[in-house]
Amino acid sequence: MKPLSGVLWLPPLMSFVLITGLIECSIILMDLPAYLAPRPSAVALALFIHAEELLKATRHTGIAAITGLGMSAILGALLAITLASHPLIRRAFYPYAVFFQTVPIIAIAPMLVIWFGYGQGAVVAASFIVSVSPIIANTLTGLLSTDPALLDLFRIAKASRLDTLFKLRIPGAIPHFLTGLRIASGLAVIGAIVGEFVADSYEDGGGIGTAVEIALKEQRTDLVFAAVLMSSLLGLIIFWLVSGLNQLSLKYWHLGEFKDS
Amino acid sequence: MKDLRLLKIIGLGMLMLILSACKAPPDDPPAEGAFKADIQLDWVPEPEFGGYYAARDSGLFSQEHLEVHLKPGGPGVPTLQLIESGQVTFGITTADNILIARDRGADLVALFALYQTFPAGIMVHAERGLHGLEDVFKEGTLAMEPGTPTFKFLEKRFGFHHIHVVPYTNNLSPFLHDPQLAQQCYVTAEPIAARRAGASPFVFPISDAGYNPYSGILVTKREVLIKHKDEVRRLIRAIKAGWTAYLKDPTSANQAMHQLNPTMDEATFEASSKIQAPLIVGSPGTPIGQMTLERWQTLSGQLVELGLIQPSDPQSAFEPSE
Repeated sequence: MKPLSGVLWLPPLMSFVLITGLIECSIILMDLPAYLAPRPSAVALALFIHAEELLKATRHTGIAAITGLGMSAILGALLAITLASHPLIRRAFYPYAVFFQTVPIIAIAPMLVIWFGYGQGAVVAASFIVSVSPIIANTLTGLLSTDPALLDLFRIAKASRLDTLFKLRIPGAIPHFLTGLRIASGLAVIGAIVGEFVADSYEDGGGIGTAVEIALKEQRTDLVFAAVLMSSLLGLIIFWLVSGLNQLSLKYWHLGEFKDS
Repeated sequence: MKDLRLLKIIGLGMLMLILSACKAPPDDPPAEGAFKADIQLDWVPEPEFGGYYAARDSGLFSQEHLEVHLKPGGPGVPTLQLIESGQVTFGITTADNILIARDRGADLVALFALYQTFPAGIMVHAERGLHGLEDVFKEGTLAMEPGTPTFKFLEKRFGFHHIHVVPYTNNLSPFLHDPQLAQQCYVTAEPIAARRAGASPFVFPISDAGYNPYSGILVTKREVLIKHKDEVRRLIRAIKAGWTAYLKDPTSANQAMHQLNPTMDEATFEASSKIQAPLIVGSPGTPIGQMTLERWQTLSGQLVELGLIQPSDPQSAFEPSE
């Protein structure tokens, strides 16, 4: 597989050059002013000039997003295990777990601020709320879709419920959990940025959300897009981290993971 | 080979998509019959637009042979971009936003300035016993949208080293919850709501600190002004008459706006229109909506100092009223 790695980079690079080139040409041809559509070259320049602040903001948001995602992973998995433990518990509480998926952060933001105070606490909470749902849903699916034949085998061997959970159901649910984690990785970044809109503390310059808001107020569309690019980059980095974790942990169980990721 | 063809098709598709999305902006409304004009408001119907609704409902626009459509806005409505791209003809904004947009290349012109005094302020709890705006920056928390010219002005003037600065999200709960929290406000809005909620707010106007941009400005792009000079003149005449009528008796316009914005009750409409009246009238003898070059120059100088714009003459940023 190794010799192909260079080729793997080529399609995304080509599409990047093609798309940015097209946008650049269209904007020049149609003579669109910067405040309606910034040129990719202007965005690149803004990225370069404001690299230091943007990197600082990205780190600020990154810490909050990774913390939020980590909390989602731990609490989401624990919640899923609880829900999987008995059909009655599932029926009683699963509808409320779906609640997290539909919470408009802006609406509950003032409450987050009052509970957690301004700053990283509330931002992490927003990131958690937005990213926990796919982890609960996926892990639960994994826990409930254990191979019946294997369950029978454990029953025949008179395995305890706990043994069945830890030695069969949880290991079997890990690929589902990791899929949930991959979906959640992008959401955690979005959650953190939205959290920053309402609860960021500006003491150290704030995160990407604050950078976007300032650039909008200053009518700097190039800088807005530069900040958006940084958030995409952050999303990609977290996605790669999770995918790395994925490969590492599935190495011995699911060889299929290597073939298409 | 097959891949290459696929790439070409995708590329072509994208080009077409981009081109179709960026079609030339629609032309200005036809001049035949009544002149049609949209006015993009920058917030939901509130007393700050009272004169416009008064003009509409008492037929002042149609008397001037104008067909005016008032478009309510909300948080983050991109008024200036909508005007520049030709999607609306007129909009309401503040003078500092106009100068910043002009600096970024948009040829916008201010036509009418409602507020002679900037209605923005910093609201604190009266119990703190603060004596002046400078005291706000000595301790506690300040909730404010970052990046606005007002934010930058206060930061430069007072420094934010001793206070905790946090976002303001158009919600009063943090203020009501924390006695040490100060927040941005419009003197016509948040203090009324805070008092209703049981707090005793006290407001320091930003204008007292020396930052006093015209606001509630009717703005358009130069192209419109050149093409429709007479229609614009008639529009301003109708708006002035609407405001004069509203200042005399806001009741019926307030009722009309309450229908459109039922979350704001009638008592608040009344209180708010009373508070804003002195900010509109300004010094005695100043005609309604008037602007002076001197004040535009002061503002321009302040924005240059704050690093928001390059130095330029604001002469063409506004159309002196007749």
